[in-house]
Amino acid sequence: MLRLVPELRNVIVFTIGGVRYAIELRWVREVVSLGFVTGVPSAPSAFSGVVNLHGTILPVLDVAALLDQPAGHAARQGDGALVLETEGVVCAMRVDQIDHVASLHETGGAINDASGRPLTLLDPAVLVRRALELITMAAAGAVPVAAS
Amino acid sequence: MSDGELDFDADELAMLRGLFRAEAQEALETVTTRVLAGGSTKPNAEALTEMMRVTHTLKGAAGTVGLMAMVDLSHRLESALAAFGREPSPWTPQTADQLVEVTDGLRAYVETAGEPGSDAIADKIRDQIDQIARPNRRPQSLPPTFVEPPPEPVLEPVHDAGPAPEPKAWLRVEPERIEDLMSSAGELLFDRTRIERRVQLLRTLARDLARTRQSLHDTLDVAGPPNRASLVEAEGELASQAALLSQTTAALLDEIEALRRTIGELQKGLTRIRMDSARNLFLHAARTLRALRRATGVHVELRTLGEDTEFDKAVAEQLVDPITQLLRNAVAHGVEPPEERAARGKPVTATVTIRARQDGNLLVLEVSDDGRGIDTSALRERLVATGRWSQTRAQLANDTEILDALLGTGVSIRGDADELAGRGIGIGLVRETVSKLGGEVKLSSTPGRGTTFSLRLPLSTALAQAMLFKVGGQVYAIPNVHVVDTTTVEPTAHVTTVRHEQLPVLRLESLLGSTTVLERRAGVVVSFAGKSLVCTVDKIVGPREIIIKPLGPLLAPLTLYAGATISGSGKVQLILDPAQLVRRAYPDSPTEAMFALDSAPVVLAGRALVVDDSRAIREAMTSMLGREGWIVDVAEDGARALQMTKQLRYDLVVTDLEMPELGGFDLIARLRKDERFKSTPIVVITSRANPEHRRRARDLGVRALVAKPITRRKLLEALAAR
Repeated sequence: MLRLVPELRNVIVFTIGGVRYAIELRWVREVVSLGFVTGVPSAPSAFSGVVNLHGTILPVLDVAALLDQPAGHAARQGDGALVLETEGVVCAMRVDQIDHVASLHETGGAINDASGRPLTLLDPAVLVRRALELITMAAAGAVPVAAS
Repeated sequence: MSDGELDFDADELAMLRGLFRAEAQEALETVTTRVLAGGSTKPNAEALTEMMRVTHTLKGAAGTVGLMAMVDLSHRLESALAAFGREPSPWTPQTADQLVEVTDGLRAYVETAGEPGSDAIADKIRDQIDQIARPNRRPQSLPPTFVEPPPEPVLEPVHDAGPAPEPKAWLRVEPERIEDLMSSAGELLFDRTRIERRVQLLRTLARDLARTRQSLHDTLDVAGPPNRASLVEAEGELASQAALLSQTTAALLDEIEALRRTIGELQKGLTRIRMDSARNLFLHAARTLRALRRATGVHVELRTLGEDTEFDKAVAEQLVDPITQLLRNAVAHGVEPPEERAARGKPVTATVTIRARQDGNLLVLEVSDDGRGIDTSALRERLVATGRWSQTRAQLANDTEILDALLGTGVSIRGDADELAGRGIGIGLVRETVSKLGGEVKLSSTPGRGTTFSLRLPLSTALAQAMLFKVGGQVYAIPNVHVVDTTTVEPTAHVTTVRHEQLPVLRLESLLGSTTVLERRAGVVVSFAGKSLVCTVDKIVGPREIIIKPLGPLLAPLTLYAGATISGSGKVQLILDPAQLVRRAYPDSPTEAMFALDSAPVVLAGRALVVDDSRAIREAMTSMLGREGWIVDVAEDGARALQMTKQLRYDLVVTDLEMPELGGFDLIARLRKDERFKSTPIVVITSRANPEHRRRARDLGVRALVAKPITRRKLLEALAAR
């Protein structure tokens, strides 16, 4: 949606595979260090696996794979991650590095950091939707695997 | 031992003694509780009266079932207790210990009373009781400075008990019976899933039937006259049958939903029956601490808070060992020697506090001591000295992280964490048990002031039996009810014989993408809905009790997994759905072929929103659009739809016109004002398309107007319209 008036956004700025992203803080429930990542066979590559966070099982999303961006390494134990909550879905998103938390101006979907460099502003709803689509397709495609 | 003359036959006697045992356990538990409640001081008159009363009842009951040695023992115990109530008889700090020892002994004894060999135990207990009743035989055990408080009248009115509560009728049930009910309720869930699958199949059939009718209808348009009349009639009948089937299926789905709710209530109710207060756990803790005090000579008192906190008995049972471990730890490492405590200005007798409370759906148990606390800087040095952490990491870590290292959180080498701080082994065990129950352990400490272990775990757990096995380095589980046997499978076999039956082999290593190469593989024989198969695995781990956790909405489409569980070390382990394994091993059976057709790969067309107040139409549209590769969301009226469009963007909107709350045209008008929906294709479905409707639709940029009833062909035409 086109906005002519700049709006102030409270965001967390982070890096994955050399690309700098921002995400609004209101979607971020927690910043954690990942526990053991269990692989989920037959899940699309955008899912690195599942982890146990305080007794709840969370999928770990690979944002780079979701957005066809340069990928970092695959998520593993000890990696930093953001825990996102949106549309009734809670998931973890691996990050290479968390830079800082800032209040930045968004103008028509574009956002720059304090030094004027552009950041990619992520909408978790879009990420979750995309992830769900990928997994639905993988699930449908996985059926004919039968007893080969 | 010789039993008295009895009026019962063997069966009756066995039954009565069973009842007696349960009653005796309860009576003796009451005595123990009362003794422990007093700490090292003499119980008050009310407590003594209560203890005498239950002991007296026990004597009578023992006589009825002919356990004469038990009659004798209860009589002696009653007399000993009476002596304390009657006169200022000496109650020494040892008395409490002795009484607890006697009641514990009696509780063990009643389980075998009347059987050969039980007399020796009875003799030993008799001696113990006599020691309590006649302590003057061993005057040296009396501390010289002991001053007995003035005697209290036995029949003093009960204080701090408030008005006498209405007597409640209690029902005694063996725990196994409730366990059975719980597992039946669990099975119900599986049954429901199975029924649901069948109904899904019916839906597919209804859909196909409707399609067949459509093609018949289309053929009729070009068919010649010979049999046309009868074909038209048949087509009409087919149409109404298809509609009926579709309605019935929709109704069935509603009923399954109702069933799901009822099963949920049932499980909740059963869990409530199993609820246990923290009191029993505390009682156990008091006994443990007493034993520790005797064994080590450490001066330590137990304080308990929140004994009315209720949680699942199954959880309580699992917590017995961790609590024992934490108490042991507090006594062995937490509490300073008396001189050191005195020097620090602390009371010489240390206090260990157990506090239970409920926090939302969680049970919080805190075990704290007022001892020396944990020296985090020393711990930091040791982490570096043992090469576990780098200098930098140790410097950067805050105290919480340092303490987490002690708990072994996120540390894969077990055992090291304990040895590190020189604390008693077994903290890792505490973490493992709590983690298995789906909970967490946190550790906090103030140097010089004490240490607190805080256990946070679910109030109730649905424990299930599962078979665990390894494939490609990961551990997986299958619900044990569906595991019939284990076997071995030759490298390339496609079928194998188990108990004289040829079963298909499902290669889990290829299904789960493992690259491990093995000569022969272990096999798990899985049976579901009357079909069996053998799944090859790298290694069988064995049966375990697990907690089933959902994988969450995002991973739900991966039907291969029925959920997940968390291992003792906190790793997630996936649970395979036996129904899906069967489906993969029997791809050719007619029903399975139907499923396969239904879930054939599709090309994703986009996300569509269907708005209609009729559930049948929403369902119909969902399946029609689904077949064309759309992911479909539904809304029952315009208002709800509007709300949904605020959150998500849709590539197609299909809406009815007349709906409660917000009508179709109003919805479209509002959507068009939203930048994101300015040019989104919108299709209107309506039962009455008059010229006014057509004009408004055109003005709002509606792509097509489709008249009910909707057919796939009409819908496709509408989607293709420009």
